[in-house]
Amino acid sequence: MHIVEFQEPVQIEFRNITKLYGAVAAVNDLSLAVRRGEFLTILGPSGSGKTTTLMLLAGFVAPSKGDILIGGKSVAAVPSYRRDQGIVFQSYALFPHLTVRRNLEFPLEMRGMKPAERIKRVERILERVHLNDFGDRMPSQLSGGQQQRVALARALIADPPILLLDEPLGALDRSLREQMQVELKVLHKEFAITTVCVTHDQDEALTLSDRIVVMRDGRIEQIDAPEMLYDRPATRFVAKFLGEANILENPGFEIESDMVQPSGTVAMLRPERICVAPPASPKRADSHQRQSVIGTVADMIYAGPLRKYHVRVGSTPFVVREHVAAGQPVFRAGDEVRLEWLRSDVRFVSA
Amino acid sequence: MSIPQKLSLKPVGLAVPAFAILLAVFGIPMIRLFLTSLDAPAFSLANYEAFFRQGANVRVLFQTIEVSLVVTAICVIIGYPTAYLMASAPKNLRTALIVLVVIPYLTSLLVRTYAWIVILGDRGMVNNVLLELGLISSPLPLIYNRMAVYVGMVQIMLPLMILPLVTVMVSIDRSLVAAARSMGAQPSAAFWRVFFPLSLPGVRSGSLLVFVLCLGFYITPAALGGLRDAMLSTFIAAQVETSFNMARTATSAFILLGIAAVMLAIFGLDLAGTQGRAVRPMPESSWKPVRLLSAIKRFSNELAASYRAKRWNAKLYQASNIRRRTIARAVFVVSVMLFLLLPSVVVVIMSFSAGEFLTFPPPGISLKWYRSFFDDPSWTGAALTSVEIGVAVTILSTIVGTLAAYGLNRTSPKLRSILTLLLLAPITLPSIVVGISAYLGLLSFGLIGTKTGIALTHSLGAIAYVVVIVSATLASFDRRLEQAAMSMRAGPLQTFKRVTLPLIRPGIMGGALFAFLHSFDEVVKTSLVSGLSIRTLPLKMWENIRHEIDPTIAAVASLLVLLPVLWLAAIYVTWWRSRPSAEHALPDAAA
Repeated sequence: MHIVEFQEPVQIEFRNITKLYGAVAAVNDLSLAVRRGEFLTILGPSGSGKTTTLMLLAGFVAPSKGDILIGGKSVAAVPSYRRDQGIVFQSYALFPHLTVRRNLEFPLEMRGMKPAERIKRVERILERVHLNDFGDRMPSQLSGGQQQRVALARALIADPPILLLDEPLGALDRSLREQMQVELKVLHKEFAITTVCVTHDQDEALTLSDRIVVMRDGRIEQIDAPEMLYDRPATRFVAKFLGEANILENPGFEIESDMVQPSGTVAMLRPERICVAPPASPKRADSHQRQSVIGTVADMIYAGPLRKYHVRVGSTPFVVREHVAAGQPVFRAGDEVRLEWLRSDVRFVSA
Repeated sequence: MSIPQKLSLKPVGLAVPAFAILLAVFGIPMIRLFLTSLDAPAFSLANYEAFFRQGANVRVLFQTIEVSLVVTAICVIIGYPTAYLMASAPKNLRTALIVLVVIPYLTSLLVRTYAWIVILGDRGMVNNVLLELGLISSPLPLIYNRMAVYVGMVQIMLPLMILPLVTVMVSIDRSLVAAARSMGAQPSAAFWRVFFPLSLPGVRSGSLLVFVLCLGFYITPAALGGLRDAMLSTFIAAQVETSFNMARTATSAFILLGIAAVMLAIFGLDLAGTQGRAVRPMPESSWKPVRLLSAIKRFSNELAASYRAKRWNAKLYQASNIRRRTIARAVFVVSVMLFLLLPSVVVVIMSFSAGEFLTFPPPGISLKWYRSFFDDPSWTGAALTSVEIGVAVTILSTIVGTLAAYGLNRTSPKLRSILTLLLLAPITLPSIVVGISAYLGLLSFGLIGTKTGIALTHSLGAIAYVVVIVSATLASFDRRLEQAAMSMRAGPLQTFKRVTLPLIRPGIMGGALFAFLHSFDEVVKTSLVSGLSIRTLPLKMWENIRHEIDPTIAAVASLLVLLPVLWLAAIYVTWWRSRPSAEHALPDAAA
């Protein structure tokens, strides 16, 4: 994981930003600081205010309350065309009436760059995104992945200090998306550009980001590094939104933990932290660190490298995920099984 | 007021010039007219009572409704199967057929009306052919009766039925029909249970369009009908000519408007429930005016839909399922196309006649009627006047209309639909009514009998066409392209010039086309505001049609037939140039 340089100064700051649409607050009293060079992802379900947040930063939407600072200066009154940022739009927004080359030249032209210098830059970036032979094509003559790379190149070509990504990989198919995630990460490092990305795709967020903001109903639910966010979600919403979670609310048995359960919280266990074993199998060496319960398999789903069990312990449903390995017992619906987990893997999230 | 609120008000400002013209020439006089009909300031319904007390008035009223209903019904009966076959044709054939429907639609109404006189007249095409074949011994009375009115009006209205129908049918997913078949539906059941209900929005929008425009019809019934076939518009025009009794005229005008509004409401409501088009759910309201307004609003949308049909190229849908077209189907489509194109063809042939009268087929071939046109200063003068006015109208309304459409596009949907509805009034309402208010409006500016006055009157309708067409283009324009340009440091003006304008140019060209054709074919309003001192080409033609009918008008008409063809070609070229394609992309396309 790319480590945030915490000594870097703050590049973007939201101060108590509220955006009202009629009486509805799309963004509600949001405060946030992004450091220079950081890759920050805003993650949330649709309607959580993540896109509005990005549009506020881009200058396409004016805040109802609060202030946005870029490089320490307020930009609330600065129109988008005077802000220095590159944006990759969800649909790429490549100009359909201009060739790839003319699309790439556009931001340079608007900054008053001389034609000779423009051509040089365009060539350089075309090479960088492996589209040397496509400069004279029209956007409609490119594949989705190629269009995506042109959009990225167009956002980066003028070396803006800030890059905004709106669901950048949403329109690509799975394998292309994974490939572009790598590409994006390399480009981010190479250009050392402060990046704010909006997505609803948790894989994308976990892979790319230095930090992730999880939004819900216009507010920040939690902000943390990807690993922390996944491993130690603060709320039930975050736990369920990021990956799968077993929320153990009144499970019908005592939850053993090394910690005291804070009030107003529920216990949470990630499915991959639970082991499934035959009920009579011998105890493990570290069994004193573990809790085990007996349940019945309701269903088994085979998914390539994984096997997913739905198990009922009393009336509490459990999801268990197990990597397929040689010599592993396989259980079927109706089988009795023992579930066990490390006490230290139990998390408490606010309900 | 907060800054964002001010900003959101700004775009509407672009519509101010359009509304200034609309209000001055049409809106304010319209209100005065309404007050006059109510005997303001005394306010009474005496004028309306007087109207209905006269049997002749009521007869004309019912006749107007009857003719409009019959024409609409015939258009549905012919138009639906035609549109169906067009929509199921392979892409290239469909495009060609659409062009064949659009060309007569864009051809001058006067030309087409005149053509029917040539075809149906006592020595016209039909009678001569029948006489020649010995099937009849004396000419049949084919013209100056109700039948002729129907034939002429259906030919003129049919494209307005077919185009929205094709647009809707092409967008229907044919795999739905296949799905129905897979579930055991017979072909006819699959059609009636799946395809037909989905095509109803097109039927409705076409019917509304045809019906409401029929209500205001003037030229065709007056030229092809007998004395007993008067429509309300003709009736009002006669009232204006004989005695300019403002109160009576205003009353008739508002009764005509009232029927249009009521019929719109009934038609709109009747079909609204059955088609499952829940896009614009209409709140149940017992308050009639609200219903009426939303019905009219919907009508303006329908109107837009039919013009959107002209953007057929963008919407063409690859029909995967090429049906075996039987000979019967081909014959049907060919006869409809012949019916639509016949007037233009007849007019062109007629223009080369060597005869002195309206005899068809012509006894010989000559260019003498072209000569007679170009040698007669009253004809060439009228043509020049029309070109002059047409160019002025096109420039004015394209600029004003595009600004308005752009402004309205950036306004809240509610305000937008109300303002658009108002701007469309001059092409939605019967032209005789618009003409009378324009007359009143121009009177107060002292512009009666001036070219400026005529140009302003034409601009009312022309702006409406530009607004409709440019709005349709803007609706499919991706606003994120503008945001993208702005994020690359292009200011608002740069963004408009470099991104928006090049991409909506085909729409603007289309608007300009309609603006020019509207001005170049306008008779009713022009005759009211020209004050007899200015003679435009359509006025001169109309006079000729009514009085002498020598084949000079055929020469003029055949020149006018060329006009839409040339315009379509021009639009096609701009569209083609703006099309993303490497071979044709000029390096300076956006400069």
